[in-house]
Amino acid sequence: MKGTRRKLVVLGLGAVGLAGALTLAAFVAPSRNAAAAATYVPTDGAQVIARVPVRDAGELAARRSLASSPERVELAVELARADIRRYRAESDPRYLGRAQATLARWWDLAEPPADVLLVRATIRQSLHDFTGARGDLDRLVALRPDDAQAHLTRAVVATVSGDYVRARESCAAAGRMLGMLVAASCDAPLDGIAGHADTAYARLSTTLAQSRRAARELRGWALTALAELAIMRGQTDAAALHLRAALALDADDTYARNLLADVLLATHHAAEVSSLLAGRESVDSHLVRLAIAEHQTRGARETATTRAMRERIEAAALRGDRVHLREEAMFALAVESDAPRALKLARDNWNVQKELADARLLAETAVAANDPDAAAPVIAWARKTSVRDAWLERSLTQLGVTR
Amino acid sequence: MKRLLVIAIVFTSATAWAHKPSDAHLRLAVSGETLSGRLDIAVRDLDGALGLDGDLDGTVTWRELTTAAPRIAAYVESRLAIAGDGAPCPLALGAPALTDLSDGAYWAVPITARCPRAPEALTFSYRLLFDVDAQHRGLVHVADQTLILRDGTPVRAQLDETTSFGTFVLEGVWHIWIGFDHILFLVCLILPAVFPRRGGRWQPAESLREVGREVLEIVTAFTLAHSITLVISTVGLVSLPSRFIETAIAASVVAAAANNLVRGIDARWAVAFALGLLHGFGFSSVLLDLGLPSDQLVGSLLGFNLGVELGQLAIVMVTLPLLYWIRRTLAYQAILWAGSSAVALLGLVWTYERFVA
Repeated sequence: MKGTRRKLVVLGLGAVGLAGALTLAAFVAPSRNAAAAATYVPTDGAQVIARVPVRDAGELAARRSLASSPERVELAVELARADIRRYRAESDPRYLGRAQATLARWWDLAEPPADVLLVRATIRQSLHDFTGARGDLDRLVALRPDDAQAHLTRAVVATVSGDYVRARESCAAAGRMLGMLVAASCDAPLDGIAGHADTAYARLSTTLAQSRRAARELRGWALTALAELAIMRGQTDAAALHLRAALALDADDTYARNLLADVLLATHHAAEVSSLLAGRESVDSHLVRLAIAEHQTRGARETATTRAMRERIEAAALRGDRVHLREEAMFALAVESDAPRALKLARDNWNVQKELADARLLAETAVAANDPDAAAPVIAWARKTSVRDAWLERSLTQLGVTR
Repeated sequence: MKRLLVIAIVFTSATAWAHKPSDAHLRLAVSGETLSGRLDIAVRDLDGALGLDGDLDGTVTWRELTTAAPRIAAYVESRLAIAGDGAPCPLALGAPALTDLSDGAYWAVPITARCPRAPEALTFSYRLLFDVDAQHRGLVHVADQTLILRDGTPVRAQLDETTSFGTFVLEGVWHIWIGFDHILFLVCLILPAVFPRRGGRWQPAESLREVGREVLEIVTAFTLAHSITLVISTVGLVSLPSRFIETAIAASVVAAAANNLVRGIDARWAVAFALGLLHGFGFSSVLLDLGLPSDQLVGSLLGFNLGVELGQLAIVMVTLPLLYWIRRTLAYQAILWAGSSAVALLGLVWTYERFVA
């Protein structure tokens, strides 16, 4: 009865296999699910365990003074500003927490001192609490109509929130105080969204050409704004040029670097993205673009980069953060190929911020998930603003939207 | 030369620590009145709170850390309090070590807390680091929950003993009853049992016992196969992309149905075993979505699997006698042929949908 014996052998092996699997599970599972990383004890006292911000004497003295006289708001504001500068330079969110802690005494006040308002708004903006930031900034410009920085910040936050009226108000105010280059750079995205990318581009590039003596940060900002207009006009080569110029002025300009990575990814130069972002994996927004580039060049879905990205997403979820919804949606769409999840994230993201990049993302994920109804907010926004953007048009056409 | 290069690359990527907001992790397991586990705090954060960088050179060395160990312990003990049902559970810190998370090295100190009696709920008063980093979060992992502690206000965790075996059994039963692809696969394999081939011709079966034995073989083979893959996939030993698995499961339904039409393989127990391996992966993704208690993993696995088998058994115990009863009728032939065709078609649709999705 060869058949029976064979049957018995296979089923017998199956039973053994099951027993083995269960035994392995009992051993493997605890280490997988316990999720506590392995510990170690160094043997060399000189081994560097962590790099920490250098404490300079001035800052230490300021902190000591603040500790003994906690009501000295000007000290606190200066310390917080220093941390925000570090945040901008390194894209390290711990500095935001430090800045906020320095202002703890005034943080929950509805009407803190004006200097605190600006710093608080900046921190809130970085944490994507745009509603909170706008409240602070509206109050601030009412208190100090001549505060150019306040107006600039307000313009940016209002643009991100889709409040173009207030954005233009503040752009005009900042422009009056700080000059034509600021005015043109501030207006650029607003004009682009209103469907006037061509004239805005001409205006800004002329102004920039005439502002060779302007400060580096201003020129960098103008170049990035110019690049965004170029992308809207479908001129990705020009955009890349402007962005590289911006990065030459400030290699730590995270925004410009990300935008350049997006241009390279969209124009199928994924291999260049890896070198563009090499060594900058610490920054989440860079890491996700690296992962997307790896996926595009190697079809890789399981690499050190994608694993690191998933860890970051999990870590953020664990602490209840939703700061990087846009990046999570991009990752879900491009690397995990999980269109429904990407769409959900894109929708949640749209509720928080309404930049052109967010509109493109929502439209793209709606196309990928084959859910045109989900794109209704974007379609409404596009109709209302009359925006003309090369990348967005592609998605809108696929959604069957006629203009 | 090549070796140096490899080392250099490894070193570089190891220093690309994530820039993320500040978190500390407190993991505790509850055993009666004793809580035990570990507290992990980023060394960088401890420096921010206590100033560990003695020589102000921008680095914290192991020596600087061990020198500061008593201060760190005092800091933790003064700012962390755990109460069980309102009564304090005194903490004891053990010998610290280090652990590496995505954003750098963490101070990892074993923690034990002894409550006066076995608690039903724990209250955590955690005040570390908020005064130097307002975005710091204390994450407490206990009893399969994660609590987010954010500003020093005490937070309560209910300790629920009953994420029970029974719940997982019921989930298993439910998921096989709603798993039409699994059911159809199994039913297709069972269908011909009441009309087996003997001596080159197909005839109605003579006895329920003979039918029963064949069905038992098929069901056992299916059970063993999907149990194995359920286990190894759930614990993460093997991980296959879900799109592939779902498509393959749909294809297996087509295969089982088509086998009835062309009468290809008689040893359907072998088909049940081979293709049953795929079905286990499918069950695993369901089970993982339910969420598994980390300290009762094997129990919940067994419970879920048992539920699947019970559900399966119920289906077989209903279908088999019915099929046996009508085996000589035209109705049976219709079910066998038209039914298998319909299932094959449905399976093809599923395969296409799942592949394209």
